[in-house]
Amino acid sequence: MHSHINKFIETAREELKNEPSQMFLMMVSLGAPILRQIGMSSFPDIAAAESYSRAIRADVIARLPELLEEFEKNAKARGAKVLWAKDAAEANNIILDIAYRGDVSYVMKGKSMITEEIGLNDHLIKNGVEVFETDLGEVITQNLNLHPFHLVGPAINVPPEKISEAFLKKGIIKKASTDPVELGGGARKYLRDKFRNLQMGIVGVNMAVAETGTIINVENEGNIRLIKSSPKTLVAIMSLEKVVPTIKDAIYMTRMLTRNCTGQKITSYVSMDTGPKKPDEQDGPEELYIIILDNGRSEIYRDFKTREILKCIRCGACLNTCPVYTKIGGYPYGATYCGPVGQVLTPMLAGIESTADLYRACTLCGMCKQICPAGIDHPSLLLSYRARQIELKKQKGKKTMQSRGENAMAGLISLGMSHGWLWNFGLKITRPLMNSLAKDGYIGSIPMGAQGWFGCRDLRAIPSKTFHETWNDLPSLPEPSGSASKKEDS
Amino acid sequence: MPAREEILERLKSATKRQNVDRPAKPTLSEITLNREQMIQRFESELSGRTGVLYQAGDKEDALRILLDIITAEGLKSFVASSEKIHGVDIAFLCSKNGLSVTIPKDLADRDSLRNAAFAADAGITSADFAVAETGTLGLIFSHNHPRLLSIAPPLHIAIISVKDLYPVYENVMEIVFKNTKEIPSQFSFITGPSATSDIQGIEFKGMHGPKKVFVIMIMQE
Amino acid sequence: MKVSLFIPCTVDIMMPEIGVAAHTLLSVLGMQTIYHKEQTCCGQPLFNAGYRDEAKRVAKHFIEVFGEDDCIISPAGSCVCMVKYHYPELLADEPSWHKRACGLAGRIHELSQYIVDVLKVTDVGAKYTGKVAYHESCHVLRGLNISDQPKKLIAGVEGAQFVEFDNSTACCGFGGEFAIGYPDISEAMVRDKAANFIKSGADVLLLCEPGCLLNISGYLHRNHPQKTARHLASFLADNLKKV
Repeated sequence: MHSHINKFIETAREELKNEPSQMFLMMVSLGAPILRQIGMSSFPDIAAAESYSRAIRADVIARLPELLEEFEKNAKARGAKVLWAKDAAEANNIILDIAYRGDVSYVMKGKSMITEEIGLNDHLIKNGVEVFETDLGEVITQNLNLHPFHLVGPAINVPPEKISEAFLKKGIIKKASTDPVELGGGARKYLRDKFRNLQMGIVGVNMAVAETGTIINVENEGNIRLIKSSPKTLVAIMSLEKVVPTIKDAIYMTRMLTRNCTGQKITSYVSMDTGPKKPDEQDGPEELYIIILDNGRSEIYRDFKTREILKCIRCGACLNTCPVYTKIGGYPYGATYCGPVGQVLTPMLAGIESTADLYRACTLCGMCKQICPAGIDHPSLLLSYRARQIELKKQKGKKTMQSRGENAMAGLISLGMSHGWLWNFGLKITRPLMNSLAKDGYIGSIPMGAQGWFGCRDLRAIPSKTFHETWNDLPSLPEPSGSASKKEDS
Repeated sequence: MPAREEILERLKSATKRQNVDRPAKPTLSEITLNREQMIQRFESELSGRTGVLYQAGDKEDALRILLDIITAEGLKSFVASSEKIHGVDIAFLCSKNGLSVTIPKDLADRDSLRNAAFAADAGITSADFAVAETGTLGLIFSHNHPRLLSIAPPLHIAIISVKDLYPVYENVMEIVFKNTKEIPSQFSFITGPSATSDIQGIEFKGMHGPKKVFVIMIMQE
Repeated sequence: MKVSLFIPCTVDIMMPEIGVAAHTLLSVLGMQTIYHKEQTCCGQPLFNAGYRDEAKRVAKHFIEVFGEDDCIISPAGSCVCMVKYHYPELLADEPSWHKRACGLAGRIHELSQYIVDVLKVTDVGAKYTGKVAYHESCHVLRGLNISDQPKKLIAGVEGAQFVEFDNSTACCGFGGEFAIGYPDISEAMVRDKAANFIKSGADVLLLCEPGCLLNISGYLHRNHPQKTARHLASFLADNLKKV
């Protein structure tokens, strides 16, 4: 799941120079918010619509364990087999076991980020079960072995020539093509017979409805409906935060999900399964397994601060408005989840200590928080991770020069900021040092320290007097209307 | 400890859980649509997704429209949810015109159904509901109406009655999910054909599901 | 009426003329300005870096310095946000400090918001012939919901022509330590900001956030030295009509 988070800056630099990536990112940053706005404008009162969806997700978080129990009870009452998995290994083994029992040679999968998070495909393949992704974006990333570029359109940036090359090699198309329709058509044909003969399918879950035990999937391509119809065995895997209280809440959230995701008012298909097929039905699964996966989320839940990450509905709106994501794309985030959602989730899944770039590469501009239909306060979470990292550094008494030096520096600065005299004194010393580097009133580079600033920017030389030092010289200005104005020390 | 118990215990032992008061649910403007407006809205939404709505005066009219579609699209073989849908005699139409139609209840098993659905030029089905809000069909799947018919063939023709047209999804959900014991094993909302924009953001229809959707709405109740 | 000036660290050290401008404007509008010399910084750089204990120390000093003031005014949106929203959070585990922080939150204002919403003034008596664009800083716009007020002050400038520019609400790429730690990304963002400003044909870019100003004007000076960005307060003060 997490492969190259430590190469964040390097990968970002590459992506900033990658023209096709930049073109897409520009398209996404300009187009997506407009599409979203058009979709949202079908609500008479957009702010009220957003408040309501935020309230639904907040309600879910407040009642999470009870809702999960209610969902399980109702799903089981309708014949679904509900299984719980603590972590990736457990979930992967449950699914592999189901595949072995069914003696299947292959499975087909709908788009499911949770299965990417746990590395399900590799586990199945390693153990002799072939896996066919079916969502076109995932077909492409699977065959090109790529990480997702975007939460929703993981291969949207990939040039058709590259897709053609990979598809030709895999026999998905017989003739090279750069036409998306032909490439998609090739994938359709290639997967057709596999759908028809499918014995076991795996899907994610957009929403699990507690009230009825129903699982809901939202899609445009139809691969999920095929997977839910054709085979005898269906596995639906959900991370535990996917539950919603009622069927009406679910349909409301669906409206918000589709608008925030692609701007659509609704996707082509919204399929709602309650239990396996009934005995007299001719298609649909005979066995429906619903796997409720933890993989770190119950820990996230226990922390009152991080709990709100679980509100996320995976719409991707935060990506589309993030000024950082829309410059660097998904690759630098080095994990299943990119953009602001990745920045708040991955550090909790992979650990604070190895994910510093994820929570520091953010200007705290607040666009994500503003747009989030689930009501997550990303900037606040990222700030709390920064604080945790510093705490950890101090607790572990990291003996590196760098962190000891940093901690000492922070201490010194806070000391200076807590005492006016020390502040002024410190500045009196540093000012001439800085200004010795100035030319024509501007500093263009410094020998060490914050060199990142000076790559593309200058810094005006520090004025000879701070405001502190200027205050006493400031004239009292006579008020035009005649009443005296004074300035006052205190 | 088994996973279930461990997970639930961890969740329940979390402190400071506060119940959330919800604001009033915002109203949707569509609920005030009258029938005429609903039809208009359904049509414009569906056609925005390249679906096509035909309004048929009665079942004979619908039959004529169905034949027109079949002829225009060059369709030869079908799977249909039943021989007659809303009184439209599909079996008769096919036999009269040398077309082949497979009805699922005549099929012995899952594999026969799958083969038929994947081989057909089109699936002709009823739809239990239509939703004006987004030009959406609502299908209850059951032993009378298998799932594959409206997703496997490259073309989907739905025959519906105007009396099943509602303003918003909630109207339909209320009916379908009213009695917990009678919730269908699958209920789907279908809005236009299958689509994707996964390559370069360029949209095309008919990725895995139907490339075209036709809705014949019978106006006579 | 007395108002207490909160002059942020960046202004104190790097751009004291903004502080002077704030004082000038408030004086011209009939306010009596107080300046507590013990003030230093709101602690935001430490807080944003994750040094909460250190930031707490600074916050307490700030509260001690400004604690009794009825009305505190600052020409920096992000610093006002720090005091208003993060001080109560930072001091949540110390009840008496927390109470003082919450009290303070209601008494601190961003300069343009104060002039327009409290003093009910939109024409400060300035004149400028030329085109003016306005960059909506993240903490001013999204943090404090301030957008109309600076624009009204600009509209109140005799002769000034307000010019829209693309993505005026987009982040400029400063983000404090971000500009230093992620220079490639920061550069891409400020490059866009500068390009959009220049494309608009405006003569000057105005804003209400010292951090943004350092970033954008630093970039302009290196790459487009003929183009200028200024703090709204400096612009207004420098263009006051001579009485």
